[in-house]
Amino acid sequence: MAGSNGKLREISRRTALGALGAGIVGATVASWPRLTGMDIPGRGDNSLSIAILGTAADAAARQRVIDAFAKVHPEVKVKVQAIQAADWKDFFTKILTMVAAGTPPDVVYVATEGAQLFAEKLAHPLDEYLRRDAADMKEYFADVHPSLVEAFMYKGSLFQLPIDWNAANMYYNTSALQQAGLERPADNWTQVDFRNSLAAMRKARPQDFTPYYWTNRLFGGVVPWLYANDTSFLKESKSTGGEWLWDSFYAQDPSRGLRSGGYQWLEPNADDPRVYESFDYLRGLVKDGLGVRPEEGGGNSLVGLFASNRIGMTPAGGYWVEGLHEAGMKEDDFDVQFFPRWRTQRHQFGTAGYAIMKTAKDKDAAWEWLKFASSLEAMRLVFPTPNTTPARRSMVNEQLYAGRGPKHWKVFYDTLDKFPTTGPIPAPPQQAAVETALMKNVSLAVSGDENQLKQALASMQRDLEIALRRQA
Amino acid sequence: MSTATTGMSTKRRNGAGSKRRNGAAPGSETTGRQRQRWLPWAFLAPTILGMGLFTLVPIVASVVLAFFRWDIISAPSFVGFDNFAEVVQDPTVRVSFLNTIMFVVVAVALQLGLALALAIMVQEKLPAWLRVFFRSAFFFPLILSAASVSIFMRYLFNEQFGVVNWLLSFVGIPAVPWLTTPAGSAAVVILVYVWQNFGFSFLLFIGGLASIPTETYEAASIDGATGWRKHLHVTLPLLSPTTLVASVMAIINALQVFDQPYVLTRGGPGDSTRTAVMVIFESAFQRLEFGQASAIGVILTLIIMAITAAQFRLSKRFVFYQ
Amino acid sequence: MTTTSTQRAAVERLAPQRPAPRKKRNWSMAGRIVLLLIASVFILGPVLWTLSTSLRPPAESFQLPPSFLPLNPDFSSYDQVFKQLNIMLLVLNSALVTGLIAVGQMFTAALAGYAFANLKFRGRGALFSIVLATMMVPAQVTIVPVFMLIRGIGLSDTLLALILPAIPTAFGTFLMRQYFLGLPSDLGEAAAIDGASPWRTFRSVYAPLAMPGMAIVGILAFNYHWNEFFRPLILTISEQNFTLPLGLVSLQGNLGTGSISVVLAGVILSMIPALVVFMFGQRALRDGLTAGTGK
Repeated sequence: MAGSNGKLREISRRTALGALGAGIVGATVASWPRLTGMDIPGRGDNSLSIAILGTAADAAARQRVIDAFAKVHPEVKVKVQAIQAADWKDFFTKILTMVAAGTPPDVVYVATEGAQLFAEKLAHPLDEYLRRDAADMKEYFADVHPSLVEAFMYKGSLFQLPIDWNAANMYYNTSALQQAGLERPADNWTQVDFRNSLAAMRKARPQDFTPYYWTNRLFGGVVPWLYANDTSFLKESKSTGGEWLWDSFYAQDPSRGLRSGGYQWLEPNADDPRVYESFDYLRGLVKDGLGVRPEEGGGNSLVGLFASNRIGMTPAGGYWVEGLHEAGMKEDDFDVQFFPRWRTQRHQFGTAGYAIMKTAKDKDAAWEWLKFASSLEAMRLVFPTPNTTPARRSMVNEQLYAGRGPKHWKVFYDTLDKFPTTGPIPAPPQQAAVETALMKNVSLAVSGDENQLKQALASMQRDLEIALRRQA
Repeated sequence: MSTATTGMSTKRRNGAGSKRRNGAAPGSETTGRQRQRWLPWAFLAPTILGMGLFTLVPIVASVVLAFFRWDIISAPSFVGFDNFAEVVQDPTVRVSFLNTIMFVVVAVALQLGLALALAIMVQEKLPAWLRVFFRSAFFFPLILSAASVSIFMRYLFNEQFGVVNWLLSFVGIPAVPWLTTPAGSAAVVILVYVWQNFGFSFLLFIGGLASIPTETYEAASIDGATGWRKHLHVTLPLLSPTTLVASVMAIINALQVFDQPYVLTRGGPGDSTRTAVMVIFESAFQRLEFGQASAIGVILTLIIMAITAAQFRLSKRFVFYQ
Repeated sequence: MTTTSTQRAAVERLAPQRPAPRKKRNWSMAGRIVLLLIASVFILGPVLWTLSTSLRPPAESFQLPPSFLPLNPDFSSYDQVFKQLNIMLLVLNSALVTGLIAVGQMFTAALAGYAFANLKFRGRGALFSIVLATMMVPAQVTIVPVFMLIRGIGLSDTLLALILPAIPTAFGTFLMRQYFLGLPSDLGEAAAIDGASPWRTFRSVYAPLAMPGMAIVGILAFNYHWNEFFRPLILTISEQNFTLPLGLVSLQGNLGTGSISVVLAGVILSMIPALVVFMFGQRALRDGLTAGTGK
């Protein structure tokens, strides 16, 4: 009895194991196309491949642009690869791995952070195409502020056409302001006014509240305070050239005289007394409990904290509107104003646009995509909601912010129009190293005594020197 | 007797086993021997070939790469020992190696201490359902990804609005700037790492404890050993093989810590939580200095090997084989 | 010397109180339970907070005192996750990658572990040391050559690029070797005397007994690779090839504009499959790591 029972059990176990094995083999065979990526449409064909930073959520908007493009250029097959990444650094890493894998995209959506890295190593200049199609492009440039375009100039050549951008403006919580008995700050408020408003807010709400919240990153961290104080952590210079572009598209622009062949950041500048001054100001805010010590890394706490009325003011750009809307903020719950004035009221901005890769198989087709993507038609399809600021002035309008706020949405584009010296995120080709050198010293600089600040700036200067010496 | 993971009585068993096996195949001496010659390799082939291709070749390649300057985009150029020279002089690299060693010492000590204490408490007399509950609870963090753990821990350790500081306020401790000061960040990285990883050591210790025969304890209690003294004199020596395995694994893991500091602090403030592996990642994938990254990697690997070798050597003196 | 004698004296003084041990033990057990409970609060508290925060609208996410129990669950963040991510595809990819790695590791590790434990061949010790030594090399060190290798085989940006390199496992081989060493060695002898080939001995005698060990290898592999971030970050490019942890990162939004509730909802969702495997595998894991076949 026991024996046969055991045998039975043995047999059933064998059957079970066999079934399991067959199941595994079957599943593997069935999923072979998935395992080898053969089921990804457009794989291995020679369509124009375009890499963007984004998620599946953008698919709809993207697909509409592709369809619209197909109507104009039925001969060009386009495939857009959305690459999910935590930030631009991660995204550039991905692009470089694609280059290393021998499957580089033909066109890449690149932000200011990577503009010079791409211009130096990977991208193809647009100069010849712009000269050729100057007539077609007049309308675009007339609608886009030259400061944005200049951010994509490198050594006299243009590498990208700005599609979207954001400046570091100051968001404030309306109710926090009211509680403190404050009015909306004036357009030309100063860093002293700013500090006073923070103090008033602190007085009105001593608990469970932060008058000024900021995070430690390249955009919207310390840099806006350096720009407002007419300095930066890198010595900024401009290269010559670029007249061909400015003369043909911006000859009448009042800021024409400011334009150049592109920014250059060749030397560290952390030992500048004004840099010390700006840092010391922020240190004062931290010390007096008016501002937080800035955290490094993602700023995910920000939306939740701001939407739950725990933050008085924070620097952010037009990209933030949709996030606040989704977090449940009504259009009157918050508003936006220019960054405070110090020695200047120069703002910091970041922008992004498509770049054609040197390795692109069909550069003419790639250019057609760039041209189309910068058209009003395409940009309307891409930016249905204000999760970033469109580069075209005409699109930053009532309609975009309807039902979402902020009331003073005009501040966004006025930042460029009223302050034509407003400058891009400092991002030389060695951007990653430079960013690390800056960020790692910020927290220490603003959260100790004067000695610690001096030490932090000294080590920032040293780290920046090493970073800039790198070959990028 | 011996356990799966702690089976440190390896030598004895091996000796006995092979002796017997040699004697046990009297009939087919020659064919058996011939078969025996290639048979082990058939068993080993998948692992050895796979490892050769995907681990050893890359290791050799990265050692070679350490002598080149290469940014993926342009062709590599030979630079001799330049990468090593630069790496050794780079203050960030040096600090990050020191950080890593500090991290390993503190985190591994905490991890093993906590795991051992809890394992002993769980293995002593307890209602069965409670034992199951505690075991599952302590193992639970292991099933989470380090990245997502770090994401929610960031919120909990927020200076103004985090739950941790809120709890501390009840004991009269003013808001601790966890993520924005060097000491605070280091503490958070260590706490979060230990929180997530002690469960593995805990599980190993549970296994080790279960393999200690109850008679040993009975004998000890007849000798009058009770409570902690019993554990000090009986448990610890008998558990030493497990402790060796647990500590070797904990150290190897901790030396490669990346996700927690990367998500929690990005290595800051300053370089206070930058680890060796982070520096490798940054120099390779953010600065495109693949040669330098390889050089740092080679140095790190040598250090890990030296530490592990030292551990095994020390273990000869301190590990008690049953 | 003096300590031992005082200790002994102390023990002797305690000895006459033998009648009381029951009570005493109860007290010490109660104390232990309290300590263990405190520890479990610290372990589970953060997870509960994550769960309850993911079930609240973002504006309430920073409530203090925190609420650990989601009394009025709001599932809108979960809707948001499903809207923003093709979560089914992410789960399918993660399941394929993790499942095949786990199965592959179980089999290769069982074979290699058996060879290292039970078969004699020249260079066994040295080879085993090399296998163990590979554990000490951080993935970040070898990722670039692995990447080039993958490109060479023509598997760039495929799931197989994640799977194949992860199948040979040093740790799994180590575990299986220990496991086979723990099995009584006379098992094989009987079979050998019956004239069974070494392969048959393995297949019909050792392999079935090694199932719990293989289960451990499989579960640990599943757990590790389900949560793996670094290799997929580097080795996959198309979003169609992303695994769950990579997908979750994108919930954080551009410049961190994503809402905390949505991020945490993603964290909770990604936890579920691992939790299921853990619940089914926990017993095997515990028994395997605990007792071998010593019962």
